Amino acid sequence: MRPIETEIVVLGGGVGGYSAAFYAADKGKKVVLVEQDDRLGGVCMNRGCIPSKAFLHATKLLKEADDSSARGITFGKPSINLDEMRAWKETIVQKLADGLAGLAKNRKVEVIRGRGYFEDSTTLRVETSDGQKFVHFNKAIVAVGSKPALPKAFDLGNKRIMTSDEALEIEEIPANLLVVGGGYIGMELGTVYAILGSKITMVEALDSLLLGADADLVRPVKRRAEKLFAEIRLGTKVGKMATSGKHIKVTMEVKGKEKEELFDRVLVSVGRTPLTNDLGLENTKVRKNDNGFIVVNPQQQTDDPVIYAVGDVVGGALLAHKAAREARIAVDVITGETNSFDSIIVPAVVFTDPEVAWCGITEAEAKERELPVEIVRFPWSASGRALSFDRTDGMTKLVIDPVTERVLGVGIVGAGAGDLISEGVLAIEMGATAEDLAESIHPHPTLSETMMEAAEAFYGYSTHIYAPKKKEQVEG
Amino acid sequence: MEIRLPRLGEGANSGVVAGILVKEGEKVRKDQTILELESDKAVAAIPVPEAGTVAKISVKEGDEIKVGDLILTLKADGGKQEIASSQPPTQEVPQPTMSAQRGKEQPSRSPVPQIEGIPLAAAPSLRKIARELGIDLTRVRGSERGGRIVLADVRQYLAELQKGALAPPPPTSSVATVSPPDHVDFSKWGSVRRKKITSIRKTIAQRMSSSWNVVPHVTQFEDADITDLLALRKAHSAAYEKKGGRLTLTPLIIKALVRSLQQHQMFNASLDEGSGEIIYKDYYHIGIAVDTEQGLLVPVLRDADKKSVLDISLELEDLAGRARDRKIAIDEMQGGTFTISNQGGIGGAHFTPIVNKPEVAILGLGRGALRAVVRNKKIEQRVILPLGLSYDHRIIDGADAARFITTLVQAIESFDEKELALAGRGSKKKPAKKGKK
Repeated sequence: MRPIETEIVVLGGGVGGYSAAFYAADKGKKVVLVEQDDRLGGVCMNRGCIPSKAFLHATKLLKEADDSSARGITFGKPSINLDEMRAWKETIVQKLADGLAGLAKNRKVEVIRGRGYFEDSTTLRVETSDGQKFVHFNKAIVAVGSKPALPKAFDLGNKRIMTSDEALEIEEIPANLLVVGGGYIGMELGTVYAILGSKITMVEALDSLLLGADADLVRPVKRRAEKLFAEIRLGTKVGKMATSGKHIKVTMEVKGKEKEELFDRVLVSVGRTPLTNDLGLENTKVRKNDNGFIVVNPQQQTDDPVIYAVGDVVGGALLAHKAAREARIAVDVITGETNSFDSIIVPAVVFTDPEVAWCGITEAEAKERELPVEIVRFPWSASGRALSFDRTDGMTKLVIDPVTERVLGVGIVGAGAGDLISEGVLAIEMGATAEDLAESIHPHPTLSETMMEAAEAFYGYSTHIYAPKKKEQVEG
Repeated sequence: MEIRLPRLGEGANSGVVAGILVKEGEKVRKDQTILELESDKAVAAIPVPEAGTVAKISVKEGDEIKVGDLILTLKADGGKQEIASSQPPTQEVPQPTMSAQRGKEQPSRSPVPQIEGIPLAAAPSLRKIARELGIDLTRVRGSERGGRIVLADVRQYLAELQKGALAPPPPTSSVATVSPPDHVDFSKWGSVRRKKITSIRKTIAQRMSSSWNVVPHVTQFEDADITDLLALRKAHSAAYEKKGGRLTLTPLIIKALVRSLQQHQMFNASLDEGSGEIIYKDYYHIGIAVDTEQGLLVPVLRDADKKSVLDISLELEDLAGRARDRKIAIDEMQGGTFTISNQGGIGGAHFTPIVNKPEVAILGLGRGALRAVVRNKKIEQRVILPLGLSYDHRIIDGADAARFITTLVQAIESFDEKELALAGRGSKKKPAKKGKK
């Protein structure tokens, strides 16, 4: 069989992969996209962002219904049909997958279902259901992504020990669920299961939840989780796990004492590992670092001059929107334009309850790097909008350069923080000053006003909080 | 010092310590948040009023504390620089120049330091343009608030680059400017000798080339009747000799020149190309071109406007003598505001001297000679001094030069005899040298 000739082959059909393939096609390139799953969309669409948000939305309703008795609205006890819930999630994912397939077709991107393997720096072998196919390419973009990490000690082959992949299938609602890892995946899925009725025990090896977020942003999340979860154990390491009938016996050190406990299920959310094995990368000049991530320069070029890599496989923030930007950069560079992943603001959003989002320089980072910054906070207890839906447990924070008054960082905790953070990204990317934010009218009554009022607080004239500007004092 | 919980605002006198953001032994900046206090109203950030090092923390998370309770003790810090730099220098921030100046460029604003991980203060679309054009935006001065760079700034930067590229390149090596660019084998036509040029010659070559390349030169010729001036000189020279001075023509011309410069200050000025400003000087330091064995040297006679003719003549002799003996210090050849090149002792008439940059004009004196001149409708024998005034046509116009040289000739031809009075030191001692040796 004659090999397929193409200008660009993209390996992996997740956000990074399909973004690259579509963009390259839009720029007039002949593109082949190789994906081993039946559906495009990768982890984000099939086993990540989208299904988790669907479940978070569904369970939020339960929580809201529960909370609304204080507002004089009482519901009967809800009944939960997991099969229907899964089916509903499946329709969402399928709709998106159909959309992507259509977009690929319209752009004349050839999608090959199968597993790709580099024979060398010119040929990709694809194992498909109809046998082997060979793709001759001028340039390749590797976007194979990552999978949930499952440490060997926990990998018993027992389906009661889940990663996010399995947890998002919600086979059952376990009575007792241990969540190992208090990062964003553990927090989000822990919330879903808790509202569905599981008793959650969360264990985190570090002293804080949501690594990377400022402590003051995490606090409202932690406070709410403490009510929702049975227990949160910080600074605690899980030793080993063993199958014990229909349970998992987990050994961990609690307050200096080794303790054995039984859980119905365990969710391991301790990070993700790149899928860079068994790709034939050793037949190319592509180089990996010690953690298995592909090494690239700011142009997304690997050590192999014809192979580029984007998304989770190159490390950094393992986020879909980062992958999408990297995809554009790789394609721009391939098509002879200058582009570079350099000082680009990557916002982080955690869809906990309340949501946490931040971008740019965090307060902790400013402190660690000894950057002279000024921090202003606007508590949502002063926001009419937040009060109107009973969620005053929010805060909007700006990190400002006191000399230029430029906004260097934004942190938000509160309902809808993920949607609010974009203004912060725009402000930083545009080099906006606090005054630019303060001088832009924000509609009332919305949560976006908190951004404006925080900026006003920097100048000491926020309407809804009293925070007079400290008098300038000259250091003696 | 002891840091206690400050008054928090209406109705809030206590709270629960929600977070301690510093550790013992940690250096803190003034106004850095040390503690977060949760009250029933909100979480308040408690700042530290002084910079220093945290000696001891007296509270822990979860503690309920009241206004006035001890939070921590702070050790004053010796390392002042760090603190000073972290003090937000808000005063330096250019105040928003509201409506009147809105949109107007202020290119004089100093560039803003870059923070790693944060894009330069410019819109992504502009950064893309810069990337495509290969422009390093860190070199572009942002005119907007916060040092933000806009398209107009890039345009101006490009205009400046273009101006620089079109201007003749400054001579990189003096040797290159004095030797023919192509290698020529002169020995083909006869025997030759080669001799390394001296460092003085290199400097002369470089300075002359630089001035010649940058300054658009025009030379204004004129003649001055010095018959009367020479008569004055003759009348006073004996008295000067008694005081150890030699009354030559040069000090007299310097005196006349300074009087003229005082009336035409542009000729005593300099051009600051960078800022686009003319710098007027309130002092008159006259450079004297001296012919030495090694080549041309220009020692500077300082404050010629404040000195008597006697002092000038004494100092001139000293400077010229030391220049010939190469005993002149570098700083004695710097700071001139106008230069005189007198070839009269050797011969020659009008010539076109090269402006001694950053000065803007130079006066070349030829040899005074007897000429037949029509005066009062009669032909008379007069001693005529040829003058050549070269000037920088960028900032001096021809009419200015004509006016200046007319004033100068007037000052020479009707030299005030009072100027020759033996004021000043009048000693045989050599004038005390200025500057370090």
